[in-house]
Amino acid sequence: MNGRVTITRPGISAVTDLGRFAGGAVGQMTGGALDQYSARVANALVGADQGAPLVELVAADFAARTSANLLIAVTGAPADVTVNGIPMPQWEPFWWPAGTELAIGSIRLGMRVYVAVHGSLDAPLLLGSCAPDSVLGFSGHLHRGDTIDVEPGPVRIYHSPLGLPVMRAAVSQPGFSDHWRIPVTDGPDRAQFGAGAERLHAGRFVIGTNSNHVGLRLSPEPGASVPVRERTDEVLSRGVPIGAVEVPAGSELLVLHRGRGVTAGYPVLAVVTRVGLSLLGQARPGQSVEFVRVTLEEAIAAARAEQAAIDGLTWRVARLVSAHGAGGSPQARRSFAGRGSGPGAVAS
Amino acid sequence: MTNLRSGGCAVDMLDCGDSALRVVVEGPAASSAWRIVHGLAALLRQAAPQGLLGTLPTYDSLLVEFDCARTDHATLRAAIGQLADRIDGVPARTPRTFDVPVVYGGEHGPDLDAVAAHLDLSPDEVIARHTAEPLLIRCFGSPAGAPMMDGPAFGRPVPRLASPRPHVPAGAVAVAGHQAVVSACPAPGGWHVLGTTPLRMVVPDREPLAPYRPGDSLRFHAIDASDFEACAGVLS
Repeated sequence: MNGRVTITRPGISAVTDLGRFAGGAVGQMTGGALDQYSARVANALVGADQGAPLVELVAADFAARTSANLLIAVTGAPADVTVNGIPMPQWEPFWWPAGTELAIGSIRLGMRVYVAVHGSLDAPLLLGSCAPDSVLGFSGHLHRGDTIDVEPGPVRIYHSPLGLPVMRAAVSQPGFSDHWRIPVTDGPDRAQFGAGAERLHAGRFVIGTNSNHVGLRLSPEPGASVPVRERTDEVLSRGVPIGAVEVPAGSELLVLHRGRGVTAGYPVLAVVTRVGLSLLGQARPGQSVEFVRVTLEEAIAAARAEQAAIDGLTWRVARLVSAHGAGGSPQARRSFAGRGSGPGAVAS
Repeated sequence: MTNLRSGGCAVDMLDCGDSALRVVVEGPAASSAWRIVHGLAALLRQAAPQGLLGTLPTYDSLLVEFDCARTDHATLRAAIGQLADRIDGVPARTPRTFDVPVVYGGEHGPDLDAVAAHLDLSPDEVIARHTAEPLLIRCFGSPAGAPMMDGPAFGRPVPRLASPRPHVPAGAVAVAGHQAVVSACPAPGGWHVLGTTPLRMVVPDREPLAPYRPGDSLRFHAIDASDFEACAGVLS
């Protein structure tokens, strides 16, 4: 490691990745970036593995200094991004020169911003993932003065011609808004709600302030109402999917997100799609949500189209890096060899 | 519905969103359903079909998580259906039994008296039944991979608390329905707390995080509150 990032204003930030997929089998939550789309794109833009460690910011202002020249990308919710006071773009890679301060503030419309680095961030791993687990007490939020060791990666030239127009044209950004249309498929226990299950799709729901990475609590807007179970069979504890829409009690919906406990006994009315979960990872308390019923085939087609676009970006960035004489980062090479994530590989 | 050759059980595989399947075993005996879902999970992890992300076996069901950009429900249904015929070949591991000291009642077990009253037993009889036989661990539960067990032979189910406690400490020894658990971390909880163990179940810097596996057992024994500190440590 020959670089170091020092946190000067932590806000609410942490080093994370796409999650601890091996955790579920031993009862641990998955965790990881709540907006997986923005996190994958951030890493793709800097030629890193899509699942590489990166920094996730939640709503609050953030600043850090670097001791090395770093190629970085900032994605996620709209924000004011500056380096030593000079405005920088989001959804495009840019240089963060040694000795300067990166500041990200006024995060708006969405909740989460992602900062990815060309090269690699050093982070401790648990079951193969650096995602913090507040329940277990593994890793956690960054504090003022914390340092992150960084390997800057092979691309070292300033004013890099790193194909910005190509990438700018190719990366689509989430449609940030105060009203979110979230696709869901029918859950395995929908029948327990009878005809009342339709209510999930009949109105708008407002995101409550007691929402977080574990789950979002939503209450119906005027004209909407919460589906009610018609049967109350006692069920044994079962594994629950990320995205499960449940009605635990009273007049609230609960949508479980990546920090959910892996077992529960409530029936699953619907499940937010993979594409919808990234959007919900950006939805703020006070904003409204409409749950749009889609088929499994539509959900999978949307997920594959999104992933193919990110994989295409990864592919193009790797070609640019290698045309630059750097040969690509080790993570990027591993990604192609191990995951078959070249263009078209996923859509087939 | 897929019928298994072994055990006369039927396996139902339900879509659980675009990235998961819920496999439910519908058969005569709970213990055979449990054996099948855990056997399937082990075989699936071993086979590691493309796109598989995670397996969560519990009592009678298994949640299979996958990357829907790389595989799909039909592919995994077929893979699981093929593996289901091989469950009898899964080698059984030798189960372990762990000793767990517990301070029952009082501030360590605020619901002991209520459970005793519900079961028409004395508090001492509740403790005697909870410590009589080792309790079998059926699965890792949330939060934090707590050991979820079959409950003691109380004769009837124990209801949930009317209103859940906002804070239950790690080490809480609790029961609900026909199930029993030891809390692995502080969390809200709706189960009746009979006592507290000074042993930690799960430690983040240990590999594996917990020493137990489904199929192992916890053998509880009563200690005095004055011995709580002396018995403190990590389950091993």
